[in-house]
Amino acid sequence: MEERPRSVVELPVAGPSATEIALDELERVYGFLFVRVGNRADAEDLAQQVAMRSIPRLRAGASPASIRAYMFATARTVLASFWSARLGMPEEELPEDVAAGPGDSTGDAESMERANRILAALPQNYRRVLELRFLRGYSLKEVAAEMKLNVGNVKVMQLRALRAAARVGWDV
Amino acid sequence: MSEQQRADRLERVVARLLRGKRIPARKLNREDADAVMTAARLAAARESYPRPSAGFRRRMAAHLEAAPEQGLLTRRSALVAGLGIAAGSVAGFEVERLLGRLQPPPVAQTAVQPKPGRWVAVAALHELPEGEGVRVEAGAVPAYLFRSGDRVSAVSAICSHLPCSLRWKSDTGVLLCPCHNAAFTRDGAPTSQAYPLPNLPTVQVRVVDGRVEVLGA
Repeated sequence: MEERPRSVVELPVAGPSATEIALDELERVYGFLFVRVGNRADAEDLAQQVAMRSIPRLRAGASPASIRAYMFATARTVLASFWSARLGMPEEELPEDVAAGPGDSTGDAESMERANRILAALPQNYRRVLELRFLRGYSLKEVAAEMKLNVGNVKVMQLRALRAAARVGWDV
Repeated sequence: MSEQQRADRLERVVARLLRGKRIPARKLNREDADAVMTAARLAAARESYPRPSAGFRRRMAAHLEAAPEQGLLTRRSALVAGLGIAAGSVAGFEVERLLGRLQPPPVAQTAVQPKPGRWVAVAALHELPEGEGVRVEAGAVPAYLFRSGDRVSAVSAICSHLPCSLRWKSDTGVLLCPCHNAAFTRDGAPTSQAYPLPNLPTVQVRVVDGRVEVLGA
């Protein structure tokens, strides 16, 4: 080269504050994702994807409010892709409330309350099977014994109950 | 598939969820997919204050600190380089994509038009290896040059999706964006059809008396 490339661009370096802001927001993003995917491993993977996509925004010296808005918008996109891949459905066919609910962590502690509201809208048998299985941690056999049904019937009732709960929707 | 078979299949997903395992990949119809998403919400309700594992914050801190800083540019420099995307529009892009309202981005190739522009000598023609990407900076315009015989072409060295500097990968012959999974050919065309991205803008380049000059700023 006859002339060395010259850099006139001052490359920004993330201050500790930007990283700290991002880490705090990421914990909220994790909560947002966890209440929607129901397990730690998937929620952490998705939160990491949000972190990776947010790096340019952090470097650009964005405000905390802007970082938060960007991260939650990204979390919704990441969540839609996740469900689309796991369930073999195009994103446009996912239910509209796939990422519904509060846009930050303030509502995460309400997930039990929200679950109870949905269960309350179901017929008693459906509500019972879901309460025992999901909220009280009964095994399938324990549910069968409690409800005086055979295991096969409990599975069918669980299927019908979850479909009915899905129809109630989470945007309540 | 009978209702009992569907019920058995759903139970396998539920059992995994209740053991804290990942959601398995299954091709489901709409109704069963809704049931799985509902099961996930109910499983999550058992944890009142979901917090990531102890190591999560530490790992994320390491990722954020280790980000390729040389690959990241300010919004201003991205704009100077002719990138037709403001950092502020990225979130909107993502949201609109989620809602399914966004048409595929335009793929027509634009050219970087620095104003006021000036021709900057960046290399001697004979120094450029045939077919290999060489990164140069014409003032504030970073570009990759590709020589083919006596001709030289150039594309912007900044990803058309996020404002990150691209890297030439000679083994695969693509320009790779280190910020996310995107790559472009030497013509600036995105390599993935599944995720449409705008082409990289071209950068104006000329050869004068064996010198390669790029229109920079």
